[in-house]
Amino acid sequence: MTTLVIAEHSNLTLRASTLNTIAAALQLGEPVSVLVAGYGAGTAAQEASQVVGVHQVLHADAPHYAEQLAEEMAVLIQKLATDFTTLIAPATVFGRNLLPRVAALLDIAPITDILAIESNDTFVRPIYAGNALAKVQTLETKKVLSVRPTSFEATAAQGGNASVVKIEACAAVRLSQFKSRDLASSDRPELAGARVVISGGRGLQSGENFQMLEALADKLGAAIGASRAAVDAGYVPNDYQVGQTGKIVAPELYIAVGISGAVQHLAGMKDSKVIVAINKDPDAPIFQVADYGLVADLFQAIPELTAAL
Amino acid sequence: MKVVVALKRVIDYNVKIRVKSDGTGVETANVKMSMNPFDEIALEEAVRLKEAGIVSEVIAVTLGTQACQDVLRTALAVGADRVVLIETDVELQPLAVATCLKAFVQKEQPRLVLLGKQAIDDDANQTGQMLAALLGWAQATNAFKLEIAGDHATVTREIDGGLETLEASLPVIVTADLRLNTPRYATLPNIMKAKKKTIESLSPADLGVDPSPRLKTLLVSDPPVRKPGIVVNSVTELVEKLRNEARVI
Amino acid sequence: MSAYRAPLKEMRFLVHELVGLKRLAELPQWAEITPDLLDQILDEAARFAEGVLSPLNAIGDRIGSIRSDDGSVTTPPGFKEAYQQFVEAGWNSIATPQEFDGQGLPRAMGTPVSEMWHGSNVAFTLCPLLTQGAIEAIHIAGSEALKQQYLPRMVSGEWAGTMNLTEPQAGSDLAALRTKAIPNGDHYLLHGQKIYITYGEQDFTSNIIHLVLARTPDAPAGIKGISLFLVPKFLVNEDGSLGARNDVHCVSLENKLGIHASPTCVMAYGDQGGAMGYLVGEENRGLEYMFIMMNAARFSVGMEGVGLAEAAYQHALKYARERVQGTPMGTDSHQRSSILGHPDVRRMLLTMRAHVEAGRAMAYQGSLYLDLAAHHPDASVRADYQTRVDVFIPVIKAWNTEMAVNMASLGIQVHGGMGYIEETGAAQFLRDARITSIYEGTTGIQCNDLIGRKVMRDQGRAMFALLAELEQELSAHLSAAHAFEVSQIEASLKACDASSLKFFSDLKVILNAAMVAVHTLKRATEWVVATSVDRSRHPEIFAGAWPYLKLTGNVLGGVMMAKAAQHSAQHLSAKEGDIDFFEAKIRTAHFFALHVLSENEGLLATLTQGGQSIIDFPPNAF
Repeated sequence: MTTLVIAEHSNLTLRASTLNTIAAALQLGEPVSVLVAGYGAGTAAQEASQVVGVHQVLHADAPHYAEQLAEEMAVLIQKLATDFTTLIAPATVFGRNLLPRVAALLDIAPITDILAIESNDTFVRPIYAGNALAKVQTLETKKVLSVRPTSFEATAAQGGNASVVKIEACAAVRLSQFKSRDLASSDRPELAGARVVISGGRGLQSGENFQMLEALADKLGAAIGASRAAVDAGYVPNDYQVGQTGKIVAPELYIAVGISGAVQHLAGMKDSKVIVAINKDPDAPIFQVADYGLVADLFQAIPELTAAL
Repeated sequence: MKVVVALKRVIDYNVKIRVKSDGTGVETANVKMSMNPFDEIALEEAVRLKEAGIVSEVIAVTLGTQACQDVLRTALAVGADRVVLIETDVELQPLAVATCLKAFVQKEQPRLVLLGKQAIDDDANQTGQMLAALLGWAQATNAFKLEIAGDHATVTREIDGGLETLEASLPVIVTADLRLNTPRYATLPNIMKAKKKTIESLSPADLGVDPSPRLKTLLVSDPPVRKPGIVVNSVTELVEKLRNEARVI
Repeated sequence: MSAYRAPLKEMRFLVHELVGLKRLAELPQWAEITPDLLDQILDEAARFAEGVLSPLNAIGDRIGSIRSDDGSVTTPPGFKEAYQQFVEAGWNSIATPQEFDGQGLPRAMGTPVSEMWHGSNVAFTLCPLLTQGAIEAIHIAGSEALKQQYLPRMVSGEWAGTMNLTEPQAGSDLAALRTKAIPNGDHYLLHGQKIYITYGEQDFTSNIIHLVLARTPDAPAGIKGISLFLVPKFLVNEDGSLGARNDVHCVSLENKLGIHASPTCVMAYGDQGGAMGYLVGEENRGLEYMFIMMNAARFSVGMEGVGLAEAAYQHALKYARERVQGTPMGTDSHQRSSILGHPDVRRMLLTMRAHVEAGRAMAYQGSLYLDLAAHHPDASVRADYQTRVDVFIPVIKAWNTEMAVNMASLGIQVHGGMGYIEETGAAQFLRDARITSIYEGTTGIQCNDLIGRKVMRDQGRAMFALLAELEQELSAHLSAAHAFEVSQIEASLKACDASSLKFFSDLKVILNAAMVAVHTLKRATEWVVATSVDRSRHPEIFAGAWPYLKLTGNVLGGVMMAKAAQHSAQHLSAKEGDIDFFEAKIRTAHFFALHVLSENEGLLATLTQGGQSIIDFPPNAF
């Protein structure tokens, strides 16, 4: 009865999601092994061995694992699966791409995007874009799972001392080839689809002061928006506007800076998952919809917040 | 070459869903149903490949009850050449769907299968990858751009923080992400013409598949209600809350 | 941003069940029309209205169409592309003749679709609507050559059409028209100025086909001397290619209260020697052709009212759900609630909802009559339905458009101060709706038409026949409801189901109120007919034309609401279908009976006793 965590890594280092996944795996109460399959991934494997709670690290190294393509990885994991009752990966693009392929090869129905572990065979996952939660029980002999990293607090990266076992790579299947990767440069995400949105209002007092928000946005990978008042005052162009007559956004995190919260603005952002309001006026209506309100002078709070991240 | 597009009928994305009071699922009676939006994008891509002369026939397939015929009619009106309903009353889970589709693909022998990256009801994001595994084909999920030249597909994928480009020999499975294209609207003349076309019908048994569910949904519930907001006293406290309580940074 | 959602459930209930398109499928040309086909068309139209037209509604209002010095007109951003999508999707040809590649679908099917266009973006919709009118005119009266040359590309939407009637001195009174058409070989040369020309110039299409009313040199004076001409913006060569620019130009745009995206043009004909025009039909019969199309045009404007009122209702409801203000009256709770908790806000929203449902149901019923009157194979059946159409049209037009203005105004009221702020979006519905009770015959014209032409002229025969039919239907429903109630009481008592019992007692209230309403209109009509014997009292009758029309609308709407409630009760007792929907139907009909039908006695009194007070106030006493 053992669990295999499929590590997401860059060959040089583990991705943060791997630590959350290990944490979820530990909740199942069985010894946790971690698979680091890559090319020149010795440092990542070493790193995995240091993670608290890891029992052993399986390290497969071959050129065809360099990009961790699903077709190559799935065959390797299928072979390893005989030794494990649970396979678990992060529900990131990497895990989402790979895990169902593994499951189908094993003829196991997987459970993906788990938010909470109820018991050894029962898990909670979101459906309908999180507008409902399903408690799902698996009837399978093996469990193939992916977990949402943000739902499991990362386990400590240092303090463990697992053995690293080199394992043999499978023959390359070469169904697809990696060509290139183009990670977003400093380009901001689009307002409508961004995971984090930071909006500024009249409180910023000038267009130049929006640069303060940009520094914060860079840290958070956020898009920048504005209230109608800020647009009307000419601080930023029209297409920044969030609200009734502007864009409607529903990011995971919405930070309203120096925005009083006119109804028309609220109409554009009230469906955001978490709303933060920073305003020096404690009576500003924006505080009525905010999950976290900070009554403060934004010219102090924003640089402080940027520095703290 | 042929392309198969798999479609799912889901609750329309504009509908605010309601969880049933007995916790067995969400209310689907008297609710507007539509084609899964990601599947619309997959279908649009197939039709564009046909218009570009790369594909000769677009076959749309769905699984479910008779009621699913409406998405197939829509598919015809958008440009599918043939439509097939794999009819069953069984609650379908992704692995069963992938197994049925595998048998269907083996029967039709397309060189490309397009699907949406996920359905907006169960949000499973599994079927395309599982179908690729069962067929032993290459897979390119979350497609942002698809180019087919000769016997090769070049697919740019949406990944965390950017884009990644893969190349694969056909046959290949591609799942569509939001930015792959903007689906067209069905045209009225095509709706009228689609009315006259037949919907082919198969059953999982015809394909030699047992579609029984392998996962059991014990309870469907509303997500926790939003807690009333709190006032934090410092930036430090704010960062701590966002990290550890809201877990959004 | 107003996010319009097509009220598909309501539309389906009406077309499938209450109005019943089954009767159209009996006609050979529409034998293929099945409920699922209609559903699919409605679904796709809803997608288009919600996805393409609705997002442009506010921007169209804000930016509007703009004329440049060279006479060209630029429509608001996104409109040109939306028009392209609209015609590519084939919506332009929904009701156009099949012989020119149109779909030729019945009006009763096109009506919910057009309601979606009006509800999501009325200013956009006017372009295809006017083209539709121009196509009909050419189809009715044009020569084969004109049809072949112009219709295919108008049906496809490649070219648009306009209607040019009004001149500065000739508004409601077309007899005063002065635009000249001088014969010149195989065509005419037109000179004159036309105003209020909707989409007279635009950037959607490569050519614009203007239909123009004008007088030939030897035409008799008055309305019997008006002819109809086709004047293309660009002349069309033999091979179909576009030739020279014709001498017709947009010389200015009106600055209007609403429908800003729709360019309302002043058109100058013949400033540079004469605009080439082609006679449509025969000389001096222009107005006659216009009259053939008039019912359809007025019907369409009535649907603009329904669409706009629905959109205003949706907007107000959404706001009321979200706006938290105060604690509800009469409760001990100190919990602040959304304004939906306040009874007066609910009154306003129910007023909107009930009027929209009644107006829509009456209009959809009228659309079926229009189809049967035009296409039933039996001439005597066609004639019967025509008399029904003649009564319905002025009511559908005037009642629905006056209703839309009032409901859009209530919609603002629901928003409170926010409603008065343009950005909120509620005000646009009022400004857009305001024209609907003016163009295509003002409310005053419709009222005179109903009470004069449709009632006095035949001594109320058509109206009495209609009322007799409604009375018969209602009494059948009443006795059914009675029998029903007995069985339901027993069932409900057994099941301890007090709420369903309430629906059946409400149903009886609704049906009785509708019956009383029918009798009130009968008394009103008897008064009109009896009084009209004395010609000297005609001014007094016409002074009551509005209360008479309003009463008629209340009754036609009220009967439809009652029938809807009856159908809903049947579904509820069988426990089938969408229970929430059917319960809401009964509740809304109950509200309509108690809040709207209750006006009827007052309207009757105003009609029978109030006219004299107007006549007694002579013009020089103002």
